[in-house]
Amino acid sequence: MLSDPTGSWTPVVLSADLPPGTVVPARTPAGPIALWRSASGRPSASADRCPHRGMRLSHGFVRGETLSCIYHGWSYGQAGNCLRIPAHPGLAPPETIRVATHPVEEVGGVLWVGVGEPATQPPQLAGLVPLRSLQARAGVAAIEAAAGAKADADGLLETTQGSQKIHLLLACQERDETLIHVLLEGEGSVAERVAASRAVEALRRKAEALEMERDAP
Amino acid sequence: MTQDAMIDEWYPVGLVSRLDGNGRKTALMGEPIEVASDTDGSARVTSKGRVLPVRVRYGHVWASLGQPQKELFAIPEADQPGRRFVDVGVVRVRCSPLRAVENFLDIAHFPFVHTDILGSEPHTEVQNYKVEIREDADEVWATQVKFYQPQAARSASGGITTEYMYRVPAPTCSVLYKTCPPRPGEWDVITLFVQPLAEDLCDVWPWMALFDDESSMTDLIHFQQTIFLQDRSILENQIPRLLPLDPGMEIPTRADLTSVAYRRWLKRRGYTYGAQLVAQ
Repeated sequence: MLSDPTGSWTPVVLSADLPPGTVVPARTPAGPIALWRSASGRPSASADRCPHRGMRLSHGFVRGETLSCIYHGWSYGQAGNCLRIPAHPGLAPPETIRVATHPVEEVGGVLWVGVGEPATQPPQLAGLVPLRSLQARAGVAAIEAAAGAKADADGLLETTQGSQKIHLLLACQERDETLIHVLLEGEGSVAERVAASRAVEALRRKAEALEMERDAP
Repeated sequence: MTQDAMIDEWYPVGLVSRLDGNGRKTALMGEPIEVASDTDGSARVTSKGRVLPVRVRYGHVWASLGQPQKELFAIPEADQPGRRFVDVGVVRVRCSPLRAVENFLDIAHFPFVHTDILGSEPHTEVQNYKVEIREDADEVWATQVKFYQPQAARSASGGITTEYMYRVPAPTCSVLYKTCPPRPGEWDVITLFVQPLAEDLCDVWPWMALFDDESSMTDLIHFQQTIFLQDRSILENQIPRLLPLDPGMEIPTRADLTSVAYRRWLKRRGYTYGAQLVAQ
């Protein structure tokens, strides 16, 4: 997806699916991350592992402007530094206790996580409105075949299902797995949104069937 | 398979109360085993036709794939009159058996994982306690461990500061001595017996010897199962699955001194089944 020599952006989740005060797991080419949004609305991405005992931070909780590990409540700021160790309330955690963080950009209702130091910004997706995301057990090639269209350099693909134009923003996950963000040209009516959602589910079934055929001996 | 000192240790492989002639197929350190009652009613554990050394103690059947140099560890309270012995059952956990024991030795997670039962915010501080490796008995001990608990036991009716002692008499077993609400001066005994199925998969068999004449057996079992299911949500999401024995991979604090001693003891004794030795 959207590579430049210094890094790349991965579209990991729709803005609407990460309300303030929540954390979700996500995958990037650099490994699993915990993506969270503080009470004031700032999104952050950190490695999905608390350095204390290795617990996944995406199982943790957000309070105010910090992300806390569910295991022992160690809390981290947006910059990844440990701010509090509840077992030792009087102790100021040393600077060395921190989690790796990644840049996050919120553009066009999509949260993008940067791997490395991308020199460019994520694409604007002008005129497109995010609808939903879904996970497919199929690679990008199978999805392209099912959609009858190729993804561009940004991972964006345009397809017509019935009478509707649907845009799919694709993010490779592990091998043969793809995260699909569905985008429409404008809000559309409820009926149109439901129809688009069903059309993409059907497209996913087709892509997964193609993927299985390809894998069959 | 790793051949290490753990091969000669005793492991729980089932409940005595569930023994039957048909036998139950399970596994021990990657080897398939079968646990059955013999024609005379005694426990019989076999691995690929080979009869394994067996003990029947603390509500469980114990076996070893190797040649145990030591007798199964003693729990004197198991013979004390007036106690109720509780077979809690089994919880399968996709984690290293050593991680399961380490979690049992940890109190700092109580307010976050066992919220409003074994701990609650803002009572999160872990006071200093004592940890030692008792060379004579070859056991890890933590004593004078104190923690504020909203509902320390099924029999507790309100918040109390509970005192704990932890003992690790075998690499995958721990015995916890805990303030006994209805009988000050005595300790409730709660154990964690872990059967290593593989390096990253285990069956956890908690067992208790309590002074509690009030609670029903069902309630006692439910209480403990609730706690262990909460622990499982942690244990199955730690990275890496194996317990890192070398420093660098994880960051201990003063509250983790029992874990530090446990890891050091495992490494010194060559108990490395379920451990990760090189930081990755």
